[in-house]
Amino acid sequence: MSSRLLNQIGLFFAALVIVSPAILFFLWMISLSLKFEIDNGAYPPILIPERFAWSNYVKVFEENNFLLYLWNSVLVTGTATVLALLIGVPAGYGIARLKAEKSAVVIMIARMTPGLSYLIPLFLLFQWIGILGTLWPQIIIHLVVTVPIVVWVMIGYFETTPMELEEAANIDGASSWQVFRLVALPIARPGIVVAFILSVIFSWNNFVFGVVLASRETRTLPVAVYNMLSYEQVSWGPLAAAALVVTLPVLVLTMFAQKQIVAGLTAGAVKGG
Amino acid sequence: MSAIAPERTGVTGDRTEVTTGRTEVTTDRTGVTADRTEVTTQASEESQSVRLAPNYWPFVVPALVVVSAVIVFPWAFTLWMSVNRWTLGQSRSFAGMENYLRLASDPRFWESLVHTLTYTSLSVAAPMFLGTVAALIFDARFPLRGLLRGVFVMPMMATPVAVALVWTMMFHPQLGVLNYLLSLVGIPAQEWIFNANTVIPSLVAVETWQWTPLVMLIVLGGLASVPREPFESAEIDGANAWQQFRYLTLPMIAPFLMIALIIRTIDALKSFDIIYAMTQGGPGTASETINIYLYNTAFSYYDIGYGSAMAVVFFIVIVALSFILLMLRQRSQWNDAEGK
Amino acid sequence: MSSNPFKPTRRQVLAGTTALAAAGLAGLRPSFSAGVDWKRFAGTTLDVNLVKSPRSDTILKYIAEFEELTGIKVNAEATPEQQQRQKTVIELSSGRPSFDVVHLSYHVQKRQFEKGGWLADIAGYLADPTLTDPGLVESDFAEAGMLFAKDNQGVLRSLPFSVDYWIVYWNKELFEAKGVKYPESFDQLVAAAEALTDPSTNTFGFVARGLKNANTPVWTSLMLGYDMTPLDDKGKLRTETPEAIEAAALYQRLMTKSAPPGVTGFNWAEAQSAFLQGKIGMWFDGVGFAPPMENPEKSRVVGKVGYGVMPKGPKAHASGTFGDGLGVTASSEKKEAAYLFCQWAVSPAMGARLLQAGAGVPFRKSVLEDPKVREGVTMPASWLDAVVQSGNISRLALPVIIPVTEFRDIYGVALTNMIAGADPAEELKKATAQFQPVLDRSEQG
Repeated sequence: MSSRLLNQIGLFFAALVIVSPAILFFLWMISLSLKFEIDNGAYPPILIPERFAWSNYVKVFEENNFLLYLWNSVLVTGTATVLALLIGVPAGYGIARLKAEKSAVVIMIARMTPGLSYLIPLFLLFQWIGILGTLWPQIIIHLVVTVPIVVWVMIGYFETTPMELEEAANIDGASSWQVFRLVALPIARPGIVVAFILSVIFSWNNFVFGVVLASRETRTLPVAVYNMLSYEQVSWGPLAAAALVVTLPVLVLTMFAQKQIVAGLTAGAVKGG
Repeated sequence: MSAIAPERTGVTGDRTEVTTGRTEVTTDRTGVTADRTEVTTQASEESQSVRLAPNYWPFVVPALVVVSAVIVFPWAFTLWMSVNRWTLGQSRSFAGMENYLRLASDPRFWESLVHTLTYTSLSVAAPMFLGTVAALIFDARFPLRGLLRGVFVMPMMATPVAVALVWTMMFHPQLGVLNYLLSLVGIPAQEWIFNANTVIPSLVAVETWQWTPLVMLIVLGGLASVPREPFESAEIDGANAWQQFRYLTLPMIAPFLMIALIIRTIDALKSFDIIYAMTQGGPGTASETINIYLYNTAFSYYDIGYGSAMAVVFFIVIVALSFILLMLRQRSQWNDAEGK
Repeated sequence: MSSNPFKPTRRQVLAGTTALAAAGLAGLRPSFSAGVDWKRFAGTTLDVNLVKSPRSDTILKYIAEFEELTGIKVNAEATPEQQQRQKTVIELSSGRPSFDVVHLSYHVQKRQFEKGGWLADIAGYLADPTLTDPGLVESDFAEAGMLFAKDNQGVLRSLPFSVDYWIVYWNKELFEAKGVKYPESFDQLVAAAEALTDPSTNTFGFVARGLKNANTPVWTSLMLGYDMTPLDDKGKLRTETPEAIEAAALYQRLMTKSAPPGVTGFNWAEAQSAFLQGKIGMWFDGVGFAPPMENPEKSRVVGKVGYGVMPKGPKAHASGTFGDGLGVTASSEKKEAAYLFCQWAVSPAMGARLLQAGAGVPFRKSVLEDPKVREGVTMPASWLDAVVQSGNISRLALPVIIPVTEFRDIYGVALTNMIAGADPAEELKKATAQFQPVLDRSEQG
């Protein structure tokens, strides 16, 4: 029994070692964001300052239009995710039932294509249609990220849901739409949650599309924070605070929905971008 | 047995079965994607299912339309632009293969290809190794496992640009915390991302930090589907832990390692955010990968034609590498089948 | 050099010596002529796109005054240089930029903007007394400003905003401690930089931009001391000449022997913050980066900074010169209101503020020559002296070509390679071979 305990303690410390880079990084990030310039420039570095510079956070929201960018991020990610769910969930169902591997290939190619190669033609297309300067170009291009994630996760889910109920419903004369909506969909709800979370995270984090497509009014948070970097590399406090504000929503989501995310990723093995 | 099954099924009582069934399906899907011949052999089966089952195509069509629109159109357009001479703000003219020939004789492009391959192989190897180790640890039971796993997954969820920015501060040669930590153990200060010789390893360290969790999660999924019985009998036969891992676990999780390998390779090849935010390809061009050079060409030099040609070649590189990996995987599966 | 367009008048130089007295702002009240109907476009909203720098900070700081004066609402934003340059071109080429007024760096974007036809012809507005203050005439701008602002057909496309000379910021305390004098020549510059360097105390004699692209002007400015420019009058590259190589070797020596580690990652902001820490002997960059120097909140070197004119090169004494301006986009639907904004930004009141804060040097003679303005300069007298003396020896430091970004990138890479130890002649040869076709192609289209 004691050897088992020892074993457990050993494992715990092994895990602690392997998690430590993540813990230390985020601790340091928080520390940077709460220090005045003097403390951030101090050597040897200070982990916990005597005075906390909450003003760094105030600065982020005061000076940089951060609320607008936050709202833009919410709109882009939200719309792109909802659209992706609307078309991706039925598609995942269809592909799973059809065993339509060719359709899956198309999705796979979408995942293999570098984001930049969408950017040039779609930029020119948006310019031609005349919707640059609105949020639509970013929403549309984010579908490149969100739709494959949703479809991929949903295929995995529908493939594992039992067919018996659906077959029974079919025999009872229900249309395939009714079967989907009333039988398959409720069962797949956990899968939809996973798809939703992953889609939100990878859309939220996307940077490269915004760099090219966003202008002042339509900028998303990752781009805004990058714009701060290149000029204010010297003022680390507000910069780290901004970085934390950007990534906080996803980190909180990760913490709360950890189990779903782990499940979704181990099953579908997806990642956007 | 499976740590992750309870949350995701909620369907039937038999969780373990669902888990294994699903992961197998996943593997199959990835396998088929690359190998068209296998798809065609399944065609009969496919049509059969269509005949028997109600019509499912209406479900798929909207997504196919959307995905094709954002894929087919850009690709057609990129191909067309790649045979044109066109810089933003200037007139366009047909150039034939000029851009491709220019690419062949562009030393910066070849250099960026080398950087891409170096960067990719390092940022595949390190997370693969560490991710597998982490998965083996997290597969076992110990106190606070859930919490630690949650923290471990955080780097891959954090916004890459924000993360890169904080790493940049940590890499600062004078004020960075990393050089301070090194000085504690007596290692002289490094220049990290500010030195041409250390920039790629430094970036790889960040990439590894961020993406090891993904490998861990995939392998963890694999470990969950490993049956217990062989281990029990192996233990009775006196096999040690390494032998059990080498001859039992490893072969069984091989398909998952392969998926992780493929995904990691594709992602590392495409890596952009971290490199761009931290070095923009510098110092000089020491960390300029194809993706970064492509970005500069198209959006700093506005040379759309040349940039498009680069995008085409880049895509071919990605597809070729993925294809090689899939071939390897197909063969290893075949060997496994033979072995049985 | 007698035809040097940057050479200020004698009056300016004279005035320079008298400018000293008062600290604090000169209390200049912006006075705008009654002839112009400033309120004409009240209610309009303008979008203004600026490059982040002390110059645009000055505009942003006083923008409420413009809104009050005109009743125009201004959405202005300043983004970092590299992103701003990329984004403006992308948006302008789309034909629907999201802004009406654009801040352009002449030394990078002049040819490109002209070729794209992205800026509106504002000559008509300048001639219109209901739109233009009578004081705003072409002849009030330094000749170089007008050369910048007009395209090759002589059409006025922008209003010159600020000229930037490169000077040497030096830490008097460090110089004194080592008994070193401010260098008069390139040789002395090297000697001083090396004498001041002491890695054991983390002190370094010299810092300048090492980041690729940003570092190219450092080299071309040094090249001017060898009486050499990157291109000759006929547009032929001279980047492999012995002079160009010598300048590169000088850059290499300064940046390897006397600069702090990691300097290859430094743009002006990093170099500036290093200098502000008090551990750097000399910093070579634009005169407009002076404001934080004397600000105790940001600087540990308040009162210790010397502002030195570029030391004399072996063949010439020259100060690398750059400039920026404000233009109205060709596609703007509010061109006249946008023009009013440009006019306000280059007005005497704003020019005075620019100069007085040490944030930049206006192109307008009426501002530079106004003794009242000079009295209000908050920077030490040596700063203003450096401005005036640099003006006397000013020369353009970057070629006026379309692919300036490629020029800066390609040669910038060569320069960072040199910091890593590569041979200057070799690197310049490689860079020239790479850049020549880019240059050739740019003039074909």
